[in-house]
Amino acid sequence: MNRQNIEKVKEAEEMLLDVGTLLMSNGASTGRVRITVNRIAEALGYDVELLITSRSLMLTVTEENGSDYTSSVRRTPPHGVNFRLVSGISRMSWRIIEDKLSLDQINEEISRLTSLPHYPRLVVLSLVALAGASFCRLFGGEGWELVVTFVASFFGLFIRQEAIKKRFNPYLAIAFASFAASMVAGLSVKLGIGDTPEHALATSVLFLIPGVPLINSLTDLIDGNTLNGIVRGINGFIIAFAIALGLMFAMQIYGL
Amino acid sequence: MATEILMILEKGIWFGFAALGFGILFNVPQRTLLIIWIMAAAGGLTKLTLMQCNIGIVVATFAGASLVGVLSVYAAHNKHAPPLVFSIPSVIPMIPGAFAYRMMLGLIKLSGTAVSNDTYYQTLAETTSNGLKTMFILMALAIGVAIPMLISRKETIKKIRHKPDPI
Repeated sequence: MNRQNIEKVKEAEEMLLDVGTLLMSNGASTGRVRITVNRIAEALGYDVELLITSRSLMLTVTEENGSDYTSSVRRTPPHGVNFRLVSGISRMSWRIIEDKLSLDQINEEISRLTSLPHYPRLVVLSLVALAGASFCRLFGGEGWELVVTFVASFFGLFIRQEAIKKRFNPYLAIAFASFAASMVAGLSVKLGIGDTPEHALATSVLFLIPGVPLINSLTDLIDGNTLNGIVRGINGFIIAFAIALGLMFAMQIYGL
Repeated sequence: MATEILMILEKGIWFGFAALGFGILFNVPQRTLLIIWIMAAAGGLTKLTLMQCNIGIVVATFAGASLVGVLSVYAAHNKHAPPLVFSIPSVIPMIPGAFAYRMMLGLIKLSGTAVSNDTYYQTLAETTSNGLKTMFILMALAIGVAIPMLISRKETIKKIRHKPDPI
């Protein structure tokens, strides 16, 4: 067992930890994390065993034709959703097999992917607000109710982004956003804008629904990653509770 | 009849926009946006059409999500992104937000109502029903989206052939 060889395995392990934690914290299911990390390790000539939990990743890397192995654990950053990164890493994993990328090239690609820009803030705010208005339409809202939901969602998401910037607890940030959005929508109920302003109130908070945690939760449960599925499901449940909390406050204030 | 069809088609457009907003929120690659819009509209229309034929919301949602799941395999091949990038934003408009919301309000109400109160059991029944609907619809969504993987028993869509091999 020589020192230099171990260093080489360690380097590969660091990269695999990067890949795994990035995927896990950006909206990939547990099965996808395992498959992608395995695929990359295999292409580089390593065997890897993983222990994936919601907030940490542990792996043991063994050389395919050697006796050198190394293990380490890394804490996974708080979960968000960034599908551009998930998609980029997935494409990269295939390029590693097809183009035989070296470790340095892979690390370069990872840092390029993590620095890819998000959509401009105004675009995100407007299109999510449009999604809110679409929900209102799907639930049977009309005319002014759509406008109210648009404004409420826009304002709510703005508050959420600001709260996250100020490093509030993520659940609290959602409660703030839900409160802000339902204050706007509640005002329209008070003033009687539109025929059925209740539609606006019920759909103004839907842009916050924990879609990714809930779908990934079920995906994990089906795949047999029961523990992670339960953790994600509870996370989704707390988010739903935070939404309800903000909404309740606003309804109490308006006396609805 | 004609107006009903128009109403449903119009809702398809809104399904698309709802999915598009979530796609942007999840920072999907630009090349996938149009596909997400189309897939969400197709899934939503399937669900609404089936519900129009008096099929229950859970089965209708399952059908819509399965369509999205199958389409996402083709989309993934053409646009070079994992299928979840397409399928998750596309099924989000079908998430039972209204049922989940009513269940939450119900739970909060139950915690503040005495058991002896007349409305307690009615609230309990409604909350249970809304909670179960939420749960089953979510399961239908997740299983529907996973249908291509479950049927083909492959771990990755790269191994699902989308064109027959030339012999």
